[in-house]
Amino acid sequence: MVPRKLWRRPLDSEQIKLPKAEIHIIPDLCKGCDFCIEFCPRKALEESDKLNKRGVYPPKVADESKCTLCGFCTAICPDFAIFTTEKKEETSRNGR
Amino acid sequence: MTEKEAEEAPRIGVYVCHCGLNIAGTVNCEAVARFAATLPNVAISKDDRYTCSDQGQELIKNDIKEHNLNRVVVASCSPRLHESTFRKACEDAGLNKYLFEMANIREQCSWVHIHDKEAATEKAKDLVRAAVAKVALLEPAIETEVPITRNALVIGGGVAGIQSALDLADTGYKVYLVEKEPSIGGRMAQIDKTFPTMDCSICILAPKMSDVGHHPNIVLLANSEVQEVKGYIGNFKAKVLKKPRYVTDECSACNDCTEVCPVTVPNEFDIGLATRRAIYTPFAQAVPSTYIIDRGICLNKEGIMACDKCIQACERKAIDFDMEPEPLELEVGTIIVATGAEVYDPSSLTNYGYTRYQNVITSLEFERLINAGGPSGGNLIRPSDRKIPESVAFIQCVGSRSERGNPYCSNVCCMNTIKDSLLIKEHWPDVEIHVFYVDIRAFGKGFEDLYTRAKEEGVIFTRGLPAEIVEDRKTHNLWLIGENTLQKELYKINVGMTILSIGIQPCHDSDTIQRLCTLSRTLDGFFMEAHPKLRPVDAPTGGIFLAGCAESPKDIKDSVTQASAAAARAGILMAQGKVSVEAITPKTIPENCQLCGLCARVCPYNAIAVDKERKLVEVAEAACAGCGTCGAECQFEALHMRHFTDAQIMSQIDALVEEAPDEKIIAFCCNWCAYAGADFAGVSRMQYPPNVRIIRTMCSGRVSPKFVEHALSRGVGAVLVAGCHPGDCHYINANIQTRKRVEKLWKKMDRLGVDKNRLQLLWASAAEGEKVASKAKEMQATLKKLTPEEVEKGKQAFAGS
Ligand SMILES: Cc1cc2nc3c(=O)[nH]c(=O)nc-3n(C[C@H](O)[C@H](O)[C@H](O)COP(=O)(O)OP(=O)(O)OC[C@H]3O[C@@H](n4cnc5c(N)ncnc54)[C@H](O)[C@@H]3O)c2cc1C
Ligand code: SF4
Ligand code: SF4
Ligand code: SF4
Ligand code: SF4
Repeated sequence: MVPRKLWRRPLDSEQIKLPKAEIHIIPDLCKGCDFCIEFCPRKALEESDKLNKRGVYPPKVADESKCTLCGFCTAICPDFAIFTTEKKEETSRNGR
Repeated sequence: MTEKEAEEAPRIGVYVCHCGLNIAGTVNCEAVARFAATLPNVAISKDDRYTCSDQGQELIKNDIKEHNLNRVVVASCSPRLHESTFRKACEDAGLNKYLFEMANIREQCSWVHIHDKEAATEKAKDLVRAAVAKVALLEPAIETEVPITRNALVIGGGVAGIQSALDLADTGYKVYLVEKEPSIGGRMAQIDKTFPTMDCSICILAPKMSDVGHHPNIVLLANSEVQEVKGYIGNFKAKVLKKPRYVTDECSACNDCTEVCPVTVPNEFDIGLATRRAIYTPFAQAVPSTYIIDRGICLNKEGIMACDKCIQACERKAIDFDMEPEPLELEVGTIIVATGAEVYDPSSLTNYGYTRYQNVITSLEFERLINAGGPSGGNLIRPSDRKIPESVAFIQCVGSRSERGNPYCSNVCCMNTIKDSLLIKEHWPDVEIHVFYVDIRAFGKGFEDLYTRAKEEGVIFTRGLPAEIVEDRKTHNLWLIGENTLQKELYKINVGMTILSIGIQPCHDSDTIQRLCTLSRTLDGFFMEAHPKLRPVDAPTGGIFLAGCAESPKDIKDSVTQASAAAARAGILMAQGKVSVEAITPKTIPENCQLCGLCARVCPYNAIAVDKERKLVEVAEAACAGCGTCGAECQFEALHMRHFTDAQIMSQIDALVEEAPDEKIIAFCCNWCAYAGADFAGVSRMQYPPNVRIIRTMCSGRVSPKFVEHALSRGVGAVLVAGCHPGDCHYINANIQTRKRVEKLWKKMDRLGVDKNRLQLLWASAAEGEKVASKAKEMQATLKKLTPEEVEKGKQAFAGS
């Protein structure tokens, strides 16, 4: 619509309350298919450098704040090795 | 007049107009008329004060009857202005209108050679001689009529497009309104109150928007893009791509989806002052109200469905990720271009610190801040600490009327600032307000009153813009430093927030619309009207009209006025239901045709079909636009370009070089760009050497190499071929052929040892009068160096052409 670049921090950025995510990985269940890493739409995961019991490198969290709790990793993981939950603390801020 | 009569020996009437002193002040009109009387076939010749006046036209009509004239020449202004007037007069007297010719001795003579009366008079004589030569060869013609599709396309859904669409739809025509954004409304939807009456902008706009959404005669295509426009007046075919919203019409705008969507970005509508989600509506009153998913940020990329939060939340099952882009083909008779304008981006003016200082905002951001429905709930808070500032300053003409930015006045910013200052005073009377200006332009109805009110309310107006803004690092207050040019003293003022009153500029993508609709733009970049005074909403292309800020910066009232005018103009055409096309299409001469198909290959409209079996070349008259490119391409004289025949143009060349050919420049100028540009040079009184003789063709593509060769064989000093810029050709791309032909000619000249500088090619738009004038000066310099030997060489090289 208007300018080509929007540079300000929106005035409502503190009011917008997005649920905060916690990513849980059960390393030893992982078989190393990397689906979650590849398909996470926010690129919140990356490969770790520690071998697990199954002899593969399971994922680790790259940036938890990027996770939007879409749950795609949970759905895509063939071995039930990853899931996300909503972080309960520090949810009540002023605003809507 | 019957054809038989026209075949009789020509009896030409010549009328040399004084145009008051516009022509007579420079050109000796009596002398020109006396000269005309000596020319072959001229039966009578007169000079007259105002030929276009009723009396002037009566004189012509009477003479046609009394003296049995069968050809008429008027030497006056540009045919682009009054050709139709005089053609009508001829017709009224029973003379076929194609037996009329004009000599342009005002725009292209008296106005551009003001200081050389003698040379101007000689030039006027030459131009009359050429017109007399051509008119003798003109043939009567009957125009064919083509039907007009009674549908209209409106491009752009700002207040102008909305008004045009509603007016046409209310008249009973079907209207397609194409808007590229998810909602119609344009700039007016973003602003809070409107000057001068201080109405709430969206409150007066929203009902109109909703009328558009519900009108049975309007098909609203938002989030859509015009990709192609083909055809001609009355019969356009437009390709429009309706992009998917991924939300169907089932959407009830309940907002449930937005609340669950986990992705946020700054909202464009609020200029980034508020946030939106990946699924959103740009603003509450949006039309269509259907939400939209921004696939650029939605978690679901092509092929992967990672998130289904909105799908789950939507009770009406309105979300559909399988939606595909929908290509549409529309058949319309008229088009209104109402694509509006953009605002100036002040970040390049580093001395004002926009994007470096939080508390420097633009006037558009101000509109969102002061709006009760906006991101701050209508509180005038400054970004750094979200507090209401104790003092603010407005800086005028940011990006306007200056070399750093745009040279023109943006028309609305002065009144907008006055409006803004009054809005602040209304809610927070204690806020101190400074306005720094160059001139306050309060010229409209009710404007001065508003200005007076602002002064009475205590707004402090200071003449002289700040040279610089410096931020106090701690308080984020701003120091404005500059010179008060009325009192000739320096000022240094501290304010809490500064509002840059930014200008209006053409849309960054207006070249696309320009290309699609074959429009012209002024040097400022806004779309150009067919005539600035008498046809202010017509585009130069038939059947296309302009409305709103796309044409020039203007306020809402003017935008709406122009929009209604454009709708009326389009409506007139559609009500008539048919339009006659100029009889300037080619006629084939089968006995000459070798069936080579070259003509068909260069026709930009695919209007020529070669039928090898029946040994025929056929021209589809309705598709032909009359550029004449085919005629210039044909090597066998098998195409007779009506009204611009080879013989007619050759006769003009001969007439123009009859005396002192080596001192002259013959300039072939296309009607739409170069000729219009030369007219513009005249209107602007740009002076250039008087030895240029312009021959008008519809397109530079009509200029056959043999015209150039013929001119050189007659010993002309130099030849100029001038057309629209490549890509801007009025006939799609016919000027590609122009370039090819000129390049070939250069090679040939080189080969034959003729100085190729004597042939020049120029691309000049209708607004580039300056380019035409400077080319003439440049060529004049070449001409001065021309030796008689060189002229002779050219004559020999092309002898017999
Ligand atoms: C900060 C500011 C404050 C103003 N305040 C006032 C005021 O108080 N009073 C007043 O009278 N005027 C005011 N104006 C001027 C007013 O905004 C304009 O007069 C008005 O918006 C012009 O309407 P428009 O339809 O021509 O253009 P726009 O409102 O710009 O609308 C053009 C529309 O066309 C669409 N579009 C563009 N290109 C294409 C394309 N290629 N295909 C499809 N659609 C396209 C755009 O998305 C847009 O919706 C103000 C302007 C500004 C910038
Ligand atoms: S999808 Fe599951 S199995 Fe595959 S890499 Fe991720 S955690 Fe491991
Ligand atoms: S799919 Fe998820 S990210 Fe995309 S619009 Fe819907 S809720 Fe938002
Ligand atoms: S898409 Fe569904 S949930 Fe979202 S606003 Fe429309 S109806 Fe409501
Ligand atoms: S080239 Fe031009 S004049 Fe010739 S048929 Fe095509 S459109 Fe008509």
